[in-house]
Amino acid sequence: MFKKRILLIVTLMLIIAFALSACSTPTATEEKPAAEEPATEEAAAEEPAAEEPAEATEEVTITVWDYYGEASPITPIVEAFEAQNPGIKVQVEALDWDSTLEKLNVVMTGGTPPDVVTLDMTWLPSFAPLGAFADLSPLSGGQLNGVPLEEAYSPGAIDAMTYNGQVLAMLYDFDVYALYYRADLFEEMGLDVPTTWDELLTVGQTLGAEGKYQYAVMPDSFHAAQFIYENGGSILNADNTVAAFNQPEAVDAVEFYAGLVDAGAGYVWSFEEGWEITPGLKDGRIAMFADGPYYMGILKDAAPEMSGQWKVALHPYKLQPGSYLGGTGLVIPAKAEHPDAAWKFIEFAMTLENQIGVFENAGAAPALIAALESPEVNMADPYFGDQKTLEVFLKAMETARPFPYVREWNQIDEAITAAMEEILFGGVSVQDALDTAADTVNSALTP
Amino acid sequence: MKKEGEGYKTKQNRKMIKTSLQPLQRFFRKYAIGYVFVAVPVLASIIFLYIPMITTLGWSFTEFSGLQPPRFIGIDNYVNLFTRDRVFIKALWNTTRFTFWGMLIGPTLGLLTALMLNQKIRFRTFFRTAYFLPVMTSLVVVATIWRMLYNQNGLLNLVLTSMGLEPIQWLSDPHWALFSIVIASVWQGFGFETVIFLAALQGIPKVLYEAAALDGASAWQRFRYVTLPSLRPVILFIYIIGIIGSFQVFDQVFVMTSGGPAYSTTTLVYYLYSKFLDLRLGYASAIAYILFGILVIFSFLQWRFFKEKD
Repeated sequence: MFKKRILLIVTLMLIIAFALSACSTPTATEEKPAAEEPATEEAAAEEPAAEEPAEATEEVTITVWDYYGEASPITPIVEAFEAQNPGIKVQVEALDWDSTLEKLNVVMTGGTPPDVVTLDMTWLPSFAPLGAFADLSPLSGGQLNGVPLEEAYSPGAIDAMTYNGQVLAMLYDFDVYALYYRADLFEEMGLDVPTTWDELLTVGQTLGAEGKYQYAVMPDSFHAAQFIYENGGSILNADNTVAAFNQPEAVDAVEFYAGLVDAGAGYVWSFEEGWEITPGLKDGRIAMFADGPYYMGILKDAAPEMSGQWKVALHPYKLQPGSYLGGTGLVIPAKAEHPDAAWKFIEFAMTLENQIGVFENAGAAPALIAALESPEVNMADPYFGDQKTLEVFLKAMETARPFPYVREWNQIDEAITAAMEEILFGGVSVQDALDTAADTVNSALTP
Repeated sequence: MKKEGEGYKTKQNRKMIKTSLQPLQRFFRKYAIGYVFVAVPVLASIIFLYIPMITTLGWSFTEFSGLQPPRFIGIDNYVNLFTRDRVFIKALWNTTRFTFWGMLIGPTLGLLTALMLNQKIRFRTFFRTAYFLPVMTSLVVVATIWRMLYNQNGLLNLVLTSMGLEPIQWLSDPHWALFSIVIASVWQGFGFETVIFLAALQGIPKVLYEAAALDGASAWQRFRYVTLPSLRPVILFIYIIGIIGSFQVFDQVFVMTSGGPAYSTTTLVYYLYSKFLDLRLGYASAIAYILFGILVIFSFLQWRFFKEKD
């Protein structure tokens, strides 16, 4: 009896002790952000003055997450930054796109976040409403390297960087869709670059008559959005409360897009073959596709032998031009340890010289207007038959808009992708598939 | 236990009253080492298993992003999962279908192979190793290889087209994708079942077969009335382990399809993971507890069956 009771008491005490110690730590850290949140803005505004002398004597190490991989524009600038800021050391963690998102989730929910993150702008909607990223306005004072943000960026870019009146990211490279086409084939067959959907269809049918040289049809929300926007439709309604992608103009758009396949103009690219369509470009299955400026870099790397064959043009449309607007943003997590040093790094990454580096190192399109207009970036590209390619994307940016900034964006993205897969692979009608997706989205959007 | 305790009481009653500290000391002297040894795994499971489990249970009743403090919402997560979340219902259905097909094909194939290997054939050890090799291979590696085989221009479609058949979009056709994953999983796992069945087959006393043969039982009757009943506990074991494993399928889906196309391969654990990636920890916890509930039911059934057998 005694034995048992002692044992029981000892184990109970142990359990309680552990439960208490384990419970108390999370609650303490959980409560912190709530208490801190209102104070951060004031603190951030005061901090620079208070911290500066401390930083001069004490060395600070900031962590930067970089998802660019091998062709990184971040790593080459670290040395120059450290030389210019003797008190700050930079530790770059080289990640890839997928693992950045995963690691970001882990670190945000419990751990020490990095100081600067390269963020796919399509991730912003799911993090921003949770207060995951610091408002950059107190750090920037509305300026980037002495230039007011409104002058440094296009209005579309500012839109993309802003959530709920807070500027959360500095757009580092941008992504809008344009039409890539095989200029050599067009010339050979005497075809004009399509500017309307009707022309896209006829050109696609002429080019793709033999089952090759077709227009790439891909089941994802980026391409669906491209056509929906071009037909005057939208993903959600104006106040982002209900799905609008099953409205007639959107349904027409997707029917046209998916219909390209049956008309013999389109080739369905399935993900079995990988996310990148490069193999299809190389073996001639695809002669036209819609994608962003970053694909120029991929193309040059993967198919150097195709130099001179490709060109880009504004994507053909029906009612109005349109594209999603995304890219990479530089953000500072709200719980970052050294926001001031982090901001210095962002400003350094956003100098004209380093923005040009984004183009030269990663082959992506820099977001700063000054960089886009610089001769180094806005050059005649020999790979693209001496075309000034970025002019096209810059023009496309004027009519592009970011995806709706709602917390449920991931679910919306998945639902539209699923609908496109059902249409292209599952034989479901466009209206049915989009209605089902709209149901899913609407129930997610209803609180 | 009761008897021992009472005996202890009567024999040593007086001593205990005299010096109350003595039994405590004796107790520690006698068992201290044992408890130290036991303490390690016990503490480890408390810290890494039970506390997270309790925390997760708490979270499942909240809306929790990990970034902001959890907000208690009662059973809303569970209600929403079953009434408003068609993707969850689909995931539940997909997982059930995966388990059904996997458990139908896997053990059957395993038993057939075991019966084959139980014959006196040449290179038996080689075959046994060959069938077991995929089990030892990492699931991620297996899934990656199968993903290549399933490619539009992959080996499987090459075989199909060379026989004059239409190629199948193994992983991008929503009607096929889940079944394609079942095939890959069965290929990976049935070697385990083979080895277990083989061991059990070799444990069946020869006498039983001899007696049955003397009674004039046909080969089928010997299988039906001798082999199968003798294998009953092993079959049960394989099904319970298999069902529990199947309900937690994740790696193959993650590598081969990422839950697509059109949610056709989204399983419970994959859906849970996607909710975690979306920073909906409360919701993900609720999914985890539904899965836990399902597994508890199966484990209970296992316990019942084995108890009856004993």
